[in-house]
Amino acid sequence: MSLSRSPSPHPGGGWSSPGLTPGSGTSTPHSGLLSPNPLGSSGISWAAAKAKSDEVRGYPSFSTRNNGFFSRSKRQLSATLPTFRVTSRSPNGYIDKDEFGRQPFSPGKSWRPFGFGKTMLRRRRLRLFLVLAVVLVGYIFFWSSLMERYRRSSFGGGHKFVIILESNIEGGVMELKGAREWAVERNSVKNKQMYASEWGYELEIVNMLAKKRYSHEWRESWEKVDIIRETMRKHPNAEWFWWVDLNTWIMEYSYSLQDHIFNRLDEIAYRDINVYNPLNITHPPTGPYLDEVSRSAEGDGDPSSINFILSQDCSGFSLGSFLMRRSVWTDRLLDVWWDPVMYEQKHMEWEHKEQDALEYLYTNEPWIRSHVAFLPQRYINSYPPGACGDGNDPNIHYAESGKDFMVNLAGCNYGRDCWSELWEYRELSNVINRTWRDTMREKLEDLYDRFWKHT
Amino acid sequence: MQFALPPRRNLNAPPYIRSSRLSLQRRKQLKAVAILGFALLTVFFLLSQFFYTSTGTAAVSAGTPSLVIVTVLDRVRWSDTYIQKIIKNREDYAKRHGYTNFFANLSDYESSLDNAPKSWGVVPAVRHAMASHPHATHFFYLDVHALFMNPSKSLDSHLLGKSRLDSLMLKDVPVVPPDSIIKTFSHLKPQDVDLIMTTDSEDLSSGSFIIKQGDYAQFLLDIWFDPLYRKYNFAKAEAHALDHIVQWHPTILARLALVPQRIINAYSKDSSSAGVDGNYKDGDLVIRFFGCDTDTKRSCEKEMDPYYRLWSKNSKTE
Repeated sequence: MSLSRSPSPHPGGGWSSPGLTPGSGTSTPHSGLLSPNPLGSSGISWAAAKAKSDEVRGYPSFSTRNNGFFSRSKRQLSATLPTFRVTSRSPNGYIDKDEFGRQPFSPGKSWRPFGFGKTMLRRRRLRLFLVLAVVLVGYIFFWSSLMERYRRSSFGGGHKFVIILESNIEGGVMELKGAREWAVERNSVKNKQMYASEWGYELEIVNMLAKKRYSHEWRESWEKVDIIRETMRKHPNAEWFWWVDLNTWIMEYSYSLQDHIFNRLDEIAYRDINVYNPLNITHPPTGPYLDEVSRSAEGDGDPSSINFILSQDCSGFSLGSFLMRRSVWTDRLLDVWWDPVMYEQKHMEWEHKEQDALEYLYTNEPWIRSHVAFLPQRYINSYPPGACGDGNDPNIHYAESGKDFMVNLAGCNYGRDCWSELWEYRELSNVINRTWRDTMREKLEDLYDRFWKHT
Repeated sequence: MQFALPPRRNLNAPPYIRSSRLSLQRRKQLKAVAILGFALLTVFFLLSQFFYTSTGTAAVSAGTPSLVIVTVLDRVRWSDTYIQKIIKNREDYAKRHGYTNFFANLSDYESSLDNAPKSWGVVPAVRHAMASHPHATHFFYLDVHALFMNPSKSLDSHLLGKSRLDSLMLKDVPVVPPDSIIKTFSHLKPQDVDLIMTTDSEDLSSGSFIIKQGDYAQFLLDIWFDPLYRKYNFAKAEAHALDHIVQWHPTILARLALVPQRIINAYSKDSSSAGVDGNYKDGDLVIRFFGCDTDTKRSCEKEMDPYYRLWSKNSKTE
């Protein structure tokens, strides 16, 4: 059969040689009974069918029907299913089996491997493309929640860490909370929530409401101890408990506790307090009756025996941010931390209450020393510049260039403005934690501005 | 042309056969992979276990004593003959059962005591014994004014055996007599016991106790020896400090077992304040002349003499 004219090349359809294109019109669309692969050379068959339908319909323009990406790939997809091999039909309802084997591209018997390979190649490419698309969509929409799930699961290891955040300090009893105090609390909690959910940690927000019980027993601030114990009971699978004061801001959401601290504990933590010793504690203990481990400056030197990690500021131990591991040792320390006989003798001296008591115990009881390690302050507890000592010590104070993990606005209650400091650090951390999209947008805006301002 | 296509190879074959055969093969492959993986994991696990245990156990040289008897000697205050008698009695007992004696000199700890009463010397002495015998498991502190009267009884069979200890442990009784509201744990198991003590009619007895080597011992002894307790002017010094920490700190109480007084702490008839059925009877392991050093009317040497002669006569006839 001949055509009245040669078909124009159709967009996406490829070229079909007009002379060889059948146009009998007798072949029915449903006759392609045994064509195993009606779309084997799909471009060509499509073009032919196109031309034919153009002819039949009588208007020669190309149609956009079935021309889209999805319908084409649907065809390809369906072709891979075995059922379609038996009762295969062209998706647009047109097939002419006569055209097979008469293509100039597949002369004679040799068409099969060639066509087959080509199909396979296309199918593969398509599959690859689909997989990539799925992966991309998945990445964009589900990646963060998926990662969070994973990190929270038993494989991810996030469930081993619990962040304990104090809130509502002395709430309702000692002072009324103003708008600024509420803002500090709200923002600080949000900050810890974001960090915890990023890494799949548990966050325990504890209410430090002044309780009659503690003031009655003269042990305000030792309620920390009860809270830690209670939290340990509540999370029986967690190993490390990170206490954080309210007036703190986690600057780097991208640091996991594992990578930042625990995986390199033996490198960054020091047990020999002589490394930095503002209290001038004699170390190691010198009692002639003590065993070797108690008398050594480094304890047993095995990072797995560290049960308590804290940092020191310019005036001694700092309990604004510390880590405790669930262990028998920890139970014991929490148990003896407050003792009525010691408290009776020392409560006038222990201005910082539980912090001073801990310093005392550390100094006087060797069993504690061998399980305590210190982190240089800026790993977990940077102070804002000016907060401690003469205010310039680079080992204590936050520096943006150092990418410090967390800033603790220690002492902001005393003559400083907690909320404005917190706000500053919040803004800074927002800048630090921009996503690449934000960065891109910023750069584009920058370019745009520059371009339009220059012209 | 009706059938321009070359026929499929297996026209009659059901259309799914190929895929199902493939999956059969696949299944076989998967099975093999799974078995291989499992085997590898097992081998890895076994190896890691093997290496873990091989590096994890510290080598204990043969002949290490399991139990060390700790005595604090005040050579300034007591005559040498008296001290020699005590030493002889304890060496004899230790030799019979393969135990070791640790005789500490009170003067060694004087700087550590920091002007506290000398009876505090017990705490650093036990810690010292632990440091000097790091592989011994149990430490029996026995006040210097005491004699082993029945040396054939070994502490292992007499007290430390699991079932024996279980039958002796006093559960749910006041830790400090007569009526402390703090009572020993009723669910305590013998394998969880790190400290074995007795009470007399007034206090936990700090003159005779057995403590197991380990974290708990260091913890207990360090707390007990805390400077703030030593400075506190407890009427009975270290004995009252012990009463205090045991009652206020459950982590200490949790590993303490009380046993009847006569098991390791029978008081002589001259001693006041023996608990119920706490006075020495023939056949008891030890006799203590409790209070002979603090009461000015009593003399430790004189009180001990008849019992010492009785002991040396018995040990010669054996």
